[in-house]
Amino acid sequence: MSSGLITLDALGPAGPFRARKRTTVTDVTGAPVAELSLVPKLFVTRAMTALRKASSLPLTERTEALERAGRIFAEEIIDGLSFAEYEHTVARVSGVPIGVVRAATAAIIEATEQSRYAAFQARPVGAVDDWRAEETRNGSAVWTRRGDVFAVHAAGNHPGPHSLWVEALALGYRVAVRPSRREPFTPHRLISALRAAGFGEDQVVLLPTDYEAADEILRGADYGLVYGGDDVVRKYAGTRVLPQGPGRSKMLVPAGVDWREHLDTIVDSISHQGGVACINATTVLIDGDPAPLAQAIAERLALIPSLPPEDDKAVLAVQPVEGARAIEKFLLAKAAGTTAHLGGDGVVEELGDGSAVLRPAVHQLDRPDAEQAGIELPFPCVWVAPWSPADGVGPLRNSLVLTAFTDDEALIDELLAEPTISNVYLGDHPTYWIRPGVPHDAYLGEFLMRTKTVIRD
Amino acid sequence: MLEFPLDTQPDPDAFLRAALRWHFSPETGSPFWLERAGTLGFDPLTDIHGFADLSRFPNLANELRDVRAEDLIPRGYGPHPEVVGVYESGGTTGAPKRIVLLQEWLDRLLTWSSAQLDRHGVPQNVNWLVVAPTGPHMVGDVIKRQTAFRGGLAFTVDLDPRWVKKLISEGRAADAGAYAEHIVDQVAFLLQTQDIGVLMCTPPILERLARRDDLAKLIHEKVKAINWVGTQMDADTRYLYRTEVFPKAHLYSGYGSTMILGNASERPGLSDDDPCIYDPFSPHMVFDVVDPKTHETVGYGERGQVVMHHVSKSLFMPNNLERDYATRVPGPKGVWQLGDSVADIAPVQEFDNETVIEGVY
Repeated sequence: MSSGLITLDALGPAGPFRARKRTTVTDVTGAPVAELSLVPKLFVTRAMTALRKASSLPLTERTEALERAGRIFAEEIIDGLSFAEYEHTVARVSGVPIGVVRAATAAIIEATEQSRYAAFQARPVGAVDDWRAEETRNGSAVWTRRGDVFAVHAAGNHPGPHSLWVEALALGYRVAVRPSRREPFTPHRLISALRAAGFGEDQVVLLPTDYEAADEILRGADYGLVYGGDDVVRKYAGTRVLPQGPGRSKMLVPAGVDWREHLDTIVDSISHQGGVACINATTVLIDGDPAPLAQAIAERLALIPSLPPEDDKAVLAVQPVEGARAIEKFLLAKAAGTTAHLGGDGVVEELGDGSAVLRPAVHQLDRPDAEQAGIELPFPCVWVAPWSPADGVGPLRNSLVLTAFTDDEALIDELLAEPTISNVYLGDHPTYWIRPGVPHDAYLGEFLMRTKTVIRD
Repeated sequence: MLEFPLDTQPDPDAFLRAALRWHFSPETGSPFWLERAGTLGFDPLTDIHGFADLSRFPNLANELRDVRAEDLIPRGYGPHPEVVGVYESGGTTGAPKRIVLLQEWLDRLLTWSSAQLDRHGVPQNVNWLVVAPTGPHMVGDVIKRQTAFRGGLAFTVDLDPRWVKKLISEGRAADAGAYAEHIVDQVAFLLQTQDIGVLMCTPPILERLARRDDLAKLIHEKVKAINWVGTQMDADTRYLYRTEVFPKAHLYSGYGSTMILGNASERPGLSDDDPCIYDPFSPHMVFDVVDPKTHETVGYGERGQVVMHHVSKSLFMPNNLERDYATRVPGPKGVWQLGDSVADIAPVQEFDNETVIEGVY
């Protein structure tokens, strides 16, 4: 095959597997970067069976191995790539700015270091980790796994989410990851590091597949995690597969609050991470005239330079021109009838090498329940809409993160009680704030674990 | 001429002219062809000189959807022809096409295909477990008779591909899965209780058998050869079966069509990296691979749509355009063969339109 390309094998239960069927991973200009092995369904079936038959490392061993893995991930040459080369490659193929990639890989490393703390934050206060604890002599709940095997259909928009499934390993699950074909480098490197750190080949596997075999990974697991759009959320809601859907994160500026004091936080929430994350603000609601705020956001966002993703100063995400044009066309069609403060003529700026920057878009809506308020796109694209207390929490629903610059306790009570708002940030906190030990969309442990009462002599 | 001994090589054009004389003479031809002879615009007896001229015939396969089966039997077989059965093609795209299998052709086919199995090293005098369609489909019946021809008992588990395809097209994947498990359960009883030397099934069924530890173990212990048919199997899967899952069994594939009244086994001796190549029973079956738009033959190594001709005493069916796509490859070295061989059979690829999906994932 073509020389000079990075070769990414599947990481199966008997070691790396170089398949005859491979897909070429390209960078944002369309240039080939790597060849990724795609395993057939039979390989998946057998790998999942091997995970099921395997045993898990004891708690202390596995959290120590996770910590070691984080260091190997960060420090060693893996598959011929140094950490810096790996980060550069991720930026080039995903189009995510290198600074964002670095922040995400730092978060992955932090997740491995703090896995014991972070994963076990979800444990109910009435439960202990182990039946051997003193508490069980008088009867106590013990926190136990609901199953043994966890499957992840990873997303390729951002390396950050790979810090989440690390918690499942810490909880003692054996884990199978199906990488995104757009950005398989992060899970490949992380799983290679986990294996080098002491996890068995039958305890964590990387199964790149085409669509046909993808469901087989979930079928062979006890629990799963998938990323996708509304259709994916609808398909898996209430099943043993946890869907991670659109974030539609929002910000609320109530009456009496001067938005000028929070403009940095608002602009950052929109554009940080290149706007590619579900925790980027999609909609800003303001009690009052939205025009000055929209204008101020637009002026700030307009200053961001258009740079290739590997540039240290890059802020905006880059895509192949064709994909960027498709998104632009979609935006322009959907934004019809709104007032554009930025990006009304389009958002694509070609870099001349086949790639294009998706520049920010700011649109003003005339009502909080306008259809556009729910449109989340993978670049800094924000809808600024009027809101008044009479509109209630309706327009704030379906938010992964809601930042509200408010101290109105009645409103806060209502926001926390609203089931479709996952996280509530009060005051000057950007929507992208997150750290190990706090849930992203409820604790993963709530989904993967249960309590059992144990009493013993 | 039409019943040339299989160890001889007939002159192909003389063979074809003899076949046309048989099928287009009022005393011996079938009512089907005799009725159409006048509408062809040429005289098959004087204007067709060899296989290259077959392209002048229209593709009449669609007429097999409603023609009387009796009308397909050449009159030369007399009032009491030895009919093995009337069989239908898939029937997944509209009404099924119907064809008549006569004993005389079946005898020739079995002699030829059995020799192919010998070349694969498939043992004689062993029992076959045939997980394949019977009913209106031909393959189950033919393999049953082939097993008897080779001195074994045939155990059959029926597969209804039309029902499976209906379930899948209606989005009832779970029902399709339950049906497949029902098949596997029936296979299990046979594997557990009978001496099974050869297993014939489809790749999806084989995967389900491999998934069940107990059945995989029985296959590993008992089965000498596994013959997969019906759909494609990718090279990586084939490799896994050969090296990890069923390393003791000889794994080989078959490809056939009701419209040519038969099937071919994969060329013996292919490596793990070779595509699956099928060499037809020439000159009774002749393959061509054409560009779907221009209908011109594609170059060797290129992909196109498969065209098949069948020429025997039992049936004349030229220019049948199959739904399958294949790579055109030359016939095997050192073996006389008319027309091409085909490799890497796959159904027509359909591509999804790429649309913008909302959200960031």
